[in-house]
Amino acid sequence: MAGALDGIKVLEVTQIIAGPMCGVMLSDLGADVIKIESAAGDGMRLLGQVVPGESKGFHVFNRGKRGMVINLQAADGQEVIQRLIREMDVFLINARPGVPERLGIDYESLREHNPTLIYLENTAYGPTGPSAHRAGADIIAQAYSGLMAGDEKVDEHGGPDLITATTPADFVAAFTSTIAVCAALFHRERTGEGQKIDTSLLAGAMVLQNAFTSRMPVSDAVLLEPILDGLAAVRERGGGYRELLAARGGLRALVGGAFFLYYGGYQTSDGAIMLGCVTPPNRQQVRDALGLEPGDDPTDDGEFNALADGSAEIVARVRALISERFASDTTESWIARLDAAGAPASQVNIPEEMIDDAQVQALGIMVDLDHRLTGPETMVGPPFSMSATPLAAQGASPPLDGDTDEVLVEYGYSVEEIAVLRSSGAVGLPGER
Amino acid sequence: MPGPLDGIKVLELTQIIAGPYCGIALADLGAEVVKLESPVGDASRKIGQFAPGESKAFHGLNRGKRGLVIDLAQAEGRKVAHRLIPHFDVFVTNVRPGVAERIGMDYETLQTLRPDLIYFDVTGFGHRGPSAHRAGSDAMVQAYSGLVAGDLKVGPRGAPEQITATAPSDYIAALGGAMGVCAALYHRERTGEGQRISSTLLGAGLTLQTPWAADVPVSDSILIEPLRQMMSEMREAGATYAEMIEARRNRPNQGKAFRIYYSGYPVKDGAIILGALTPQNREQIRSALGIIDDPSDSSEFNAIGPEADAIANRVEEQIRSKLASGTMAEWMTRLDAAGAPASPVHWLEEIADDPQVVAMGLMPTIEHPLTGPERHVGPLVQMSRTETGTSRSSPPLDAETDDVLREHGFTEQQVAELRQSGAIGASAGD
Repeated sequence: MAGALDGIKVLEVTQIIAGPMCGVMLSDLGADVIKIESAAGDGMRLLGQVVPGESKGFHVFNRGKRGMVINLQAADGQEVIQRLIREMDVFLINARPGVPERLGIDYESLREHNPTLIYLENTAYGPTGPSAHRAGADIIAQAYSGLMAGDEKVDEHGGPDLITATTPADFVAAFTSTIAVCAALFHRERTGEGQKIDTSLLAGAMVLQNAFTSRMPVSDAVLLEPILDGLAAVRERGGGYRELLAARGGLRALVGGAFFLYYGGYQTSDGAIMLGCVTPPNRQQVRDALGLEPGDDPTDDGEFNALADGSAEIVARVRALISERFASDTTESWIARLDAAGAPASQVNIPEEMIDDAQVQALGIMVDLDHRLTGPETMVGPPFSMSATPLAAQGASPPLDGDTDEVLVEYGYSVEEIAVLRSSGAVGLPGER
Repeated sequence: MPGPLDGIKVLELTQIIAGPYCGIALADLGAEVVKLESPVGDASRKIGQFAPGESKAFHGLNRGKRGLVIDLAQAEGRKVAHRLIPHFDVFVTNVRPGVAERIGMDYETLQTLRPDLIYFDVTGFGHRGPSAHRAGSDAMVQAYSGLVAGDLKVGPRGAPEQITATAPSDYIAALGGAMGVCAALYHRERTGEGQRISSTLLGAGLTLQTPWAADVPVSDSILIEPLRQMMSEMREAGATYAEMIEARRNRPNQGKAFRIYYSGYPVKDGAIILGALTPQNREQIRSALGIIDDPSDSSEFNAIGPEADAIANRVEEQIRSKLASGTMAEWMTRLDAAGAPASPVHWLEEIADDPQVVAMGLMPTIEHPLTGPERHVGPLVQMSRTETGTSRSSPPLDAETDDVLREHGFTEQQVAELRQSGAIGASAGD
């Protein structure tokens, strides 16, 4: 069975994560994805490289693609793109704003060669607005969008600490880009029309914070205005980041304190456990597993008012009680009891060890690949499954310049033409000239 | 200009985040989305509610949809849902494994009613494997997938703390679903075939950590094996969670020289983030801050040599004291002038008024019929030929039940009888 995007051809001029990950997912869906790099290669090749030009980061964000090196600074390099684009369905780019125009690979230029092209541009801040021209990276979008302050991490110097578990803005931008490309293919199939799509790291990071960022005057008068006033007061007296965080956290902790009793982590005698309750029945399941008596925790009684005097002390007392119970036994023993009660809970796993997890293996989340230079590797495969058009990892990442000649031949270049392009430096690596 | 999914009809049986957000993504792309709720409604209506059954979370995760209440616990209610299904292109659900079968809303059943249906379900741990039966919510899958440990947060009493800024697995699973639905619509357009799409919070959590979860032996023997071994030795020795996180944070081979230019620093009135990915970026930062003696980007510099850490610590201290001497606005002016990637650390409660957010139209105003005007994070993407976004708010519970049924062939009398029997409509008192 072929993938949903079987027969679709994608050309990408991308680097780091947001653009490349979009290419990975299009390839998982069955598209033929060709990555164009400069002779220096995607910057990701150098981050944590072990073999020259080959890093783990590059491998995971470029699996399933073929690789070409084209010099986009040179006119004859740009001509190669203009010739290839005629037979492509989709073009992806995540360069800094203005760069596509400078290299003659902006939407207006490329659509002249292919009027039904689907052109996706991902930038840090989007195509318009006062920050449109600014450079960006995931960490910048985390800070700019509020995600970082929302994660409430402070380092030992009182500075903000980023979300280190992932690069959230990059990933969401990659997902939204892929969704948009699929929607645009559907539109093209119905109408024959191509189009330009814009996505940004900023919009991606904002999507992730939906409820925190939105404004609803009726609700905000009670729950949001006091936070804004608190922030303003700290600024007024010249307070720093840590104080600003405390001002934001206070009311939220008061209002949400009871909720987070059962939606958060506890230490066990040999590790840690995370509860993930979102409903009253879930919370009762946890209380049953812990052996709490009725009356031990009044926070789920209809009468409990989080904003009333003394409620913070009640929440603190219950937290101490739950903490004490969890600390008295092992993670394994608690998980068994919580599972038996049907309560949502999990041990806290280490990312590097997930590859051996029984559930991960049962779902086939990881795929085995073989890299041309560095051999066998196992990594996270397609992000979901489809019954009629299964997703499949199409192979390992390309070495730099790995498929340039093969692709050019496929698109009608003669061996002589390729030799000329290589000797002028329009394609390929400089060392060979 | 209609959206790319103009004319596509979606029925969703969802609650909390993962299912509802998939519905929003499809609505933003122009689909007509009808949310099916039980008589008590989506549980997120009650999380921080400010009017009965209306909460900020529900509004944010259900804008752009019409609301329908059917009691699927009753045979009569299931019949109503089954009569609607042939009119819909897409069905989205995030009920626990086994529930869809019990209430007759599983793929096999619905496919007989609409053979080319596109059916998307998201669960915590999937439909097979030792954890398939377990309930899943974002926090527990954050813990299970490694995200919690990877975020290195430890709370009071040595407890693990989840990523609080967002529900990462929920959103990524939802976005994966929207992607699958769009790809499946394209496939249906080409072949006439429908299909089932499944995503899991676990798969989403791992996708977010793809560089860390992967096993690339050539690289791992140097960078990851020592970490795995350290973790397992610490566990053997009975180390606490907090001790293991601390060891992970301070593990060797972390590229300290890279991280000092990709990190946050306090300034007088808040904090600034530097986000340099390339040597040029780092040079821009050095020129903006007036740092002249950092050799770590010269080609002779040995990044894993014995002096590397000491140099990195010295430069980090220099950057820290420079930045601490000025305000956010002062430093941003200089960093911007140098073209350096940097950002003030914003407060998410204030971001709605940010000039870039306003200029991009990222937060359109929507009118809710019960609670008035509100501003929401808008569409995921902008498309030149097919408009994205929605002007419709979240539905009050039971708001469009009668309209939707009438549109799909139910008579006035049938609607009245169904209400009478309780097969449709919100429960009394709610």
